[in-house]
Amino acid sequence: MSPPSYRTLDSPVRRRFLAGLGSLWLLAGLGLGPSPVAASLSPQQLRRSMQAEYGAQGVAVLEEWFALLDRLRPADLEARLRGVNDFFNRRIRWLEDIAIWRQEDYWATPLETLGRGEGDCEDFTIAKYVTLKELDVSEEELRLIYVRARIGRSSITQAHMVLGYYETPGADPLVLDNLVPSITRGSRRTDLDPLFSFNGRGLWAAGSSQSRADPVARLSRWRRVIDRMRQQGFIQGE
Amino acid sequence: MSLIKQLWLIVAALLLLAFGGSLFIGVTASRAYIEQEVLIKNADNASALALTMSQMPKDPVTLELLVSAQFDTGHYRRVELRSPKGEIIEQRLGGDAIRDVPAWFVDLVHIEVPPGRAVVQDGWRQLGTLVLESQHSFAYRSLWRSTLSLVGWFGLAAVISLLLTWWIVRQIRRPLSAVVEQAQHIGQRRFTTVPAPRTRELREVVEAMNRLSAAVGNMLGEESQKLDRLRQQLQHDPVTGVLNREAFLSQLQIHLDSQDARASGALALVRLAHLVEINERLGRAETDALLHEMAHGLEQFGQAHGGGIVGRLNGSDFVLLLPGKIDLGQLRHDLGRRLAAMRERGRTPVGLPGALIDYAQGDQRSMLLASLDGTLSAAETRSDEGLMIAEGPQRRSLFTSHDEWRYALQVAMAKGIYLAHYPVLDATGELLHIECPSRLRLAGEWQPAGVFIPWISRLGLDSQLDLVVIDEAIRDITHRGKPLGINLSVASIQDAHFVIELQSRLKARPDVAKLLWLEIPEAMAIHDLASFRSLCRALQPLGCRIGLEHVGASFTRIADLQDLGLAYLKLDRTLVRGIDRVAEQQTILRGMATLCHSLGILAIGEGVENREEARVLFELGLDGATGPGIRQHEKPAD
Repeated sequence: MSPPSYRTLDSPVRRRFLAGLGSLWLLAGLGLGPSPVAASLSPQQLRRSMQAEYGAQGVAVLEEWFALLDRLRPADLEARLRGVNDFFNRRIRWLEDIAIWRQEDYWATPLETLGRGEGDCEDFTIAKYVTLKELDVSEEELRLIYVRARIGRSSITQAHMVLGYYETPGADPLVLDNLVPSITRGSRRTDLDPLFSFNGRGLWAAGSSQSRADPVARLSRWRRVIDRMRQQGFIQGE
Repeated sequence: MSLIKQLWLIVAALLLLAFGGSLFIGVTASRAYIEQEVLIKNADNASALALTMSQMPKDPVTLELLVSAQFDTGHYRRVELRSPKGEIIEQRLGGDAIRDVPAWFVDLVHIEVPPGRAVVQDGWRQLGTLVLESQHSFAYRSLWRSTLSLVGWFGLAAVISLLLTWWIVRQIRRPLSAVVEQAQHIGQRRFTTVPAPRTRELREVVEAMNRLSAAVGNMLGEESQKLDRLRQQLQHDPVTGVLNREAFLSQLQIHLDSQDARASGALALVRLAHLVEINERLGRAETDALLHEMAHGLEQFGQAHGGGIVGRLNGSDFVLLLPGKIDLGQLRHDLGRRLAAMRERGRTPVGLPGALIDYAQGDQRSMLLASLDGTLSAAETRSDEGLMIAEGPQRRSLFTSHDEWRYALQVAMAKGIYLAHYPVLDATGELLHIECPSRLRLAGEWQPAGVFIPWISRLGLDSQLDLVVIDEAIRDITHRGKPLGINLSVASIQDAHFVIELQSRLKARPDVAKLLWLEIPEAMAIHDLASFRSLCRALQPLGCRIGLEHVGASFTRIADLQDLGLAYLKLDRTLVRGIDRVAEQQTILRGMATLCHSLGILAIGEGVENREEARVLFELGLDGATGPGIRQHEKPAD
């Protein structure tokens, strides 16, 4: 079977529908394998998005973030991890989603996080994940980890998310957390109890190579945030 | 390629296009949807199982149980847990459950969904990756089923649309073939008209062609009328409109020499008595009117009695030629009443004495006229109303009664007929066809047609004789392979049985039909146009040529006959005789030949007396000539 030609059909709705079908088909043909993510960001578009949503103050923070990327790119891995962790832990004020977004659980893109200057644990984790990925840290080695966190010495636990860095899949990860400013090994974080982890592999890859017309694109939170990141300029190129 | 065929191809192509397109889009869309669904199911189930495993103890039995439980109760092709290094910890594989779908279809559609992956967490460490693939062979079956029903539906749609197309094509084809036929007729210079079809485009074509045909018909009508006026001037008496003396006498001679039913009949001579006195009393104009009235009355009488011919011999004498009439007593009665009626109707009392005589083939014209003249004088002296029967020439009749004639003719026809051979040649001396008057052996001798044809007509044996002649002609053509011309009597062509017989004989011998030229006298064809038309329609498709003989007086009617596809006209001897001397006659014949050629009809001159006449005829553009002058110079063929 050869890829279909839909040029003869000219109703816009129909064309979009068929284009969607066509790309789905193309996608299926490619097998949806983990394709290299061309997730290089577009500074101009990011500036425009930031200007539009958060004004000059937001752009200033964005420029600092760009400066951070430029500074850390030549640095070694440890410096990059620390630099990114510190940048967000310092810049961003922790707040519940309900307070920021008036939603129970909202996954913000790094631009939204930076623009507002506040975020909850997922927003920290996503922002760090995206920044490290931008600094050429392999996606394989990064995992977003759901953890149960005990606050202080009390027995009160809270749902929390951290970013783990795995040198190897079986290794004890380095944990980038917003509760504890320094980076430590997971095994030493007795206050955290890991439950499940995931990363962008597969989902991210699928998201990055699919058009916005993909009906699955907005089905999961993770995909939704990826989609918004694309619109804002974090991901460009197909 | 024919229009109809193109139409069919277009319909078939559209059907295939619609079918192929729908099938392709349907299958592709379903496949994409199925792949999407399975992809999500893989990812979600992998995540769910990995999440569960992450929370459970990580001993091998628990892991195995979890994988088994998921695999056994779900619909999976593969569930496996691999260590971070890629070693298999647990694996379950299911076979492909497709059975009733053809392998080629599976290969063609080929659904491929990447497996779902999720990492099982053991504390901070990764225990392994869970890889999960759902069973999707059900998708092939449902795709195969929907493809089958689509094919079924399109088969039905194809049948319906082909039926519709067939109907439409039939609707188009009928008027179209009528148009094509008309165009072919026009190509053969037969300017027919056909009823206008309902299809608009075709109707325009047909109307245009009908207009063309009508225009040609009008033109023909005008041309032939012009020629007829010339002929009238040459052959007719200017005062009364009947034939003048020369024309009538040559007509009479033709009848006396004739080989057909005209060869016997009656002549009547009627005189407008005391013409000089009447002229003095009434004046010229009144007298002319009287003469005209009288000629007209005689013409009407002639028409009523089987196509009589009226001529004006001199100032006061009119002669009426009635072929086929032999019962003089009856004729005397009828004509007497007619003359009495004319006498009474006229404003001026006039005397109309007359004389009657019968004639037969071989009689001397001068003797007949002299006898009539003498009897008329006798009648005139007796009274102005006398109508006397003149003493005819002594003739030896072969048989005395109808029954004897009938018996003798039947026997002779049964014994066999003999066909005389008179050639019809074209300008280069090549044979066009051979005229074949029939001969019957009666009273021990071969008798020419003129002797027995009047009796054949009288006894109603025409179609029987014509069939015998046709059989003989078929034999002759088979034997010699030369084209033959056969006369048909009008009684035969009116006989449906005869036409069917003739048709079946010619159908059986298409080779012979091509060499057969059939002709009937012009006056007869005009007289019963309907029978002649149906004869043409029945026989022309078989390949034989149909023509008219003795064409002259009714040449104007050629415009009505042109659509019949006549092959040839034999122009009457009265027009041909003396052609080398009379300039007006040449004008007429040249015009007739031109008109014939414009309709694709051969013009042949009858009764050519000598080489000079033949030469002039061919110079005038006639295509063939026949007659004694041609016979003498025929190349010795037999």
